[in-house]
Amino acid sequence: MLETTRYETSRRLRGTVILTIGVSLYVSFIVWYFSLVDASAYAQIAESVPPAMREAFGIQTIGTIEGWLGGQIYTFVWLVGLGIYFAYSAAGKVASDIENDRMDLLLSFPVSRSQLLLEKFASMVLPLVLLNVVVGGVTYGLVVAIGETVDPMHLVLAHLLSIPYLLVCAAIGTVLSVLVNRAAVAERAAIGLMFVLWLVESAVGAAEEFSWIQYISPTHYYSPTPVLIDGTYEIMDAGILLAGFLGLLIVSQVLFQRRDI
Amino acid sequence: MGVIELDGLTKDYGDVLANDDVSFTVETGEIFGYLGPNGAGKTTTIRTLLGLLEPTSGTATVLGADVHDEDALIDAKQRIGYLPAHLGFNEEVTGADVLDYHASVKSGDRRDELLEIFTPPVERPIREYSSGNKRMLGIIQAFMHDPELVIMDEPTSGLDPLKQEEFNEFARDECERGKTLFFSSHVLSEVRRICDRIGILRDGKLVGLEDVETLMEQGGKHVRLRTTDEARTELTALDGVNDVQTFADGIQFIYTGEYNTLLRELATHDVHEIDISEPPLEDVFMHYYGVDGEGEPNQEVQSDA
Repeated sequence: MLETTRYETSRRLRGTVILTIGVSLYVSFIVWYFSLVDASAYAQIAESVPPAMREAFGIQTIGTIEGWLGGQIYTFVWLVGLGIYFAYSAAGKVASDIENDRMDLLLSFPVSRSQLLLEKFASMVLPLVLLNVVVGGVTYGLVVAIGETVDPMHLVLAHLLSIPYLLVCAAIGTVLSVLVNRAAVAERAAIGLMFVLWLVESAVGAAEEFSWIQYISPTHYYSPTPVLIDGTYEIMDAGILLAGFLGLLIVSQVLFQRRDI
Repeated sequence: MGVIELDGLTKDYGDVLANDDVSFTVETGEIFGYLGPNGAGKTTTIRTLLGLLEPTSGTATVLGADVHDEDALIDAKQRIGYLPAHLGFNEEVTGADVLDYHASVKSGDRRDELLEIFTPPVERPIREYSSGNKRMLGIIQAFMHDPELVIMDEPTSGLDPLKQEEFNEFARDECERGKTLFFSSHVLSEVRRICDRIGILRDGKLVGLEDVETLMEQGGKHVRLRTTDEARTELTALDGVNDVQTFADGIQFIYTGEYNTLLRELATHDVHEIDISEPPLEDVFMHYYGVDGEGEPNQEVQSDA
């Protein structure tokens, strides 16, 4: 058990460490930048931005450190950037194994298809944990370093609630990965789909009759900015994401089980 | 019961019928060659045996496990080694990493012993491997858990002649130790050197199932010579001369008659140059299974399944 997860995790390690360092550097820049500019200037920026964009980038309360982090890091990097990364990364997994004839050998192992797929998916736990723990820690440390305060519980909560969201993103990638024969197609489809889902959710929020469309986007169920500001969140949202994650995982299992390699 | 049993195995991809009602049995301890030109459907059979493809109809068992039954097949796979035609390994990991991974899933008791015969540079990343090195790594992973049955798809492609010979010797030794080897090839000379029995696949159909000796006797020899016009006419009139082709100042044909007759006849003529060799696979087909390859086989195809 877990041999494949161990192997895949060790292959992921280098890339994940580099990504974690990159995101941490971006966080450092963002926090440092906040310390330079006068808070009232941000309030004016937020006022001048159209409501749809305020919604999309979560910049309602850009003048406080919580609002600033929520917009610049947790919406921009976590919701959009990492959402796309997790979908993209999972999309490449199975499709590239099939495309490059690796799946032949893997399926000659005395291991069921469903276990193999689960073990491969489980290697996503490494970036999920490493990014949340390291970047969360770095963010807190830097905020304190520039003399601001953020409730550590709110920060932990914003990270915890991102886990079901990122799992859904990875599961969307996995479904694409078992559906398509070429890795490049699966990966591009994953990037495109995640981006469109986010845009659609942001855009239709204002239009009454199409507002139902926003419910199909996973981005609708993870709102980091309010969590950071006053710790408000809907536990139902996390539940919907987890249910969606399990549903997508089952779909990918059924598809993978039935397909010819 | 046979180690591998195919019963009416059919795989229809819609536009192409890759396997058409294929039936045969591979017995314990034999080296079975699965021969056919490229695109005949050999890989489709192999992938079906491993459960990668779902047959359209018919069935097959491997070490007693039905290919439709995933649980049974998983148990059987602990005793099966597999060497695919196209070896896919992650490019950035080393050969040792690959073997570690494979060993963790299916054990690697014979790894060191095999590394003495086949010598891929295991400390280097796969991206630096030549096709021969990849092939050797593939052979090691296929045999290192000491399986009862090893299924190989074009096992020697990419190996240099020296390593090919070592592989052939290794395969014979393994067979003597009681292993069953099933391998596909499109090269007759390779198969005939180590196989006991051969199944021939053509356009998805099993067109022959023979002992190697029988096949080679009936396959004849490919004779190519440069000689006089008169000699050419007389030679082509001999019994057992088939598929005659003339070129500039010579002829070539497949000879299936008695060797002494041919040699005596040759001795009475002025022969400038001669080359007697094993016929290419395609010619064996032509002679053995109808001149145009499409007609009815001359030989009754026997199925022991």
